[in-house]
Amino acid sequence: MSAVPNTARLTTGRDTGPVVSARDLRAWYRLSMFGVVREVKAVDGVSFEIRSDEIYGLAGESSSGKSTLVKTIAGAIRPPLEIVGGEIAFNFMAGTDGLHRASGEVAGQVRWRHLSYVMQGSMSVLNPVRRVRASFADFAFRHMGLDRAGFEAAVVSHLARVNLEASVLDAYPHELSGGMRQRVTIALATICRPNFVIADEPTTALDVVVQKEVLGMFRGIQREMGSSVLFVTHDMGVHAHLTDRLGIMYAGRLVEEARTRDLFARPRHPYTRHLIESLPRIGDDKLRRGLEGSPPSLADPPDGCRFHPRCSFATERCRREVPAMTPVGLDHRVACFERDRVEASQ
Amino acid sequence: MTQALLELATVSKTFSRGGFLSRERVEAVVDVSFRLDGDRAEIFSIIGESGSGKSTIARMILALQAPTAGHVRFRGRDLAELRAEDERTAFMAAVQPVFQNPFEAFNPLKRMDRYLFMTCRRFTGLHDEAEIHAAADAALQQVGLTLAEIRGRYPHELSGGQLQRVAIARALASNPSLLVADEPVSMVDASLRASIVALFRKLCDELGLSIVYITHDLATAYSISDRIIIMQKGRMVESGDARTVLADPKHPYSRKLKESVLEPLAPGETPMFAR
Repeated sequence: MSAVPNTARLTTGRDTGPVVSARDLRAWYRLSMFGVVREVKAVDGVSFEIRSDEIYGLAGESSSGKSTLVKTIAGAIRPPLEIVGGEIAFNFMAGTDGLHRASGEVAGQVRWRHLSYVMQGSMSVLNPVRRVRASFADFAFRHMGLDRAGFEAAVVSHLARVNLEASVLDAYPHELSGGMRQRVTIALATICRPNFVIADEPTTALDVVVQKEVLGMFRGIQREMGSSVLFVTHDMGVHAHLTDRLGIMYAGRLVEEARTRDLFARPRHPYTRHLIESLPRIGDDKLRRGLEGSPPSLADPPDGCRFHPRCSFATERCRREVPAMTPVGLDHRVACFERDRVEASQ
Repeated sequence: MTQALLELATVSKTFSRGGFLSRERVEAVVDVSFRLDGDRAEIFSIIGESGSGKSTIARMILALQAPTAGHVRFRGRDLAELRAEDERTAFMAAVQPVFQNPFEAFNPLKRMDRYLFMTCRRFTGLHDEAEIHAAADAALQQVGLTLAEIRGRYPHELSGGQLQRVAIARALASNPSLLVADEPVSMVDASLRASIVALFRKLCDELGLSIVYITHDLATAYSISDRIIIMQKGRMVESGDARTVLADPKHPYSRKLKESVLEPLAPGETPMFAR
């Protein structure tokens, strides 16, 4: 299988090109009921790149399309979800066009070996009626090219990276705490040293003390492996402390993207600015105001900029035209016609 | 001393699980005492990680669960002594819950306005249809909605933030004097969270409604609470004025909790998990 060399990690080395690039991606849910076609434009024209050795954060609220974007990138496309347009390319699948168009054989070799996932619910990843050891064998054994003894040794030494002892292999998932289970799923997702890891709200179900511990280990493993990560969470506090670059999604579109530090220091999109300003902080006595209104329905989104009904900067142009992502600085892009006014008002 | 609105006196709750031979006892709440004054409304926050006993306290305040030891008193009356139907109804009207997940709290096949009408009919003694509608509308206006907006709508037609507002309006419909809100914003989107939390502050200040706010989120607790208690493994480890406690926590667990909060960085700060 020449398209998927097993030595990709060795040959890419200090590769500077993007590991993942998506161009004008459109993924819609198409429902046909009684001859009436209803389209939900969950991902509508999203372009971005994830570079090698970085954690790319994706923030957005429920129904902003982030889960659909994750499904599309992972190639988990099932009706009624359809990829209507655009392209996804992975550097470890040179010459092919995303996982969703790959054959079952190629996809089987890429998944877990080159692209793996950490999900929110560790209970739905680990088989509840089998010991943790069996989950490792199911997911990773065939990709590692080791014999049984060698595989066991590799698993044990990898578990040590997330501070877990070999004894967890003999445990059933329900015997472990939530934090331990999530560390097992992180170990499971990274044992094959994948080029690219998708982490979808991996710490949202954990409480703050455990979350801090798990995020520290996650960064440690990423640093050691040099993997690229797409880290999805609605928690802006997590993004501030973990991600290298950050994209903000609103109603199916990317509205701003920058290095995380720059995005927090100088947000240019009114929505980003609101997200950051509405966070209460300990020691700050100002009572935060919420944003009026609700995110739009993706089955019937407003014309023009989709944020305009909730935006205090909106003009007539925002109601008619869709703003394109425009560079406003180093690694900083924003989709807003009124970006200069937004910035001047800070 | 005036009569307390709510008083917990050395309350403990032990659950036992397991079979006949191997019985395991779990101490969910151990010796918790606090009181809320009757003449001054306040927001009282209970903070702790999952499994610290916060929700068990909420269930005991709502009389959904009886304590194993100690007493929960509402306006001086021990909840364990509420037997008569009319007494229980009066208690339920006065102490109302708001639950964590608004998507699960409402029956998906039932129209939202029904919940408000039912609560009004049962607790306010109104019978006339027009009066009930007026009372429901008044409750909704307290939370920034109107009856016209939610009339005939089903839960899936509203966002999480709107659903939680309706849940709060429903709780207000019986004119309660105490609201028990168990993790009310953890399922609500970030852009709407601040407005719900601010709404609690407004209800407390304007309606004189006392609120027991249960959360694991220190930042929202800081922004709206008057007093807080911090719970660990069923025990109260620290309590006091919210600003004082959170500005300088004394107990090692409270400190650890505060250090673990991930907040946006101030200029010059370095991220915890930088590259």
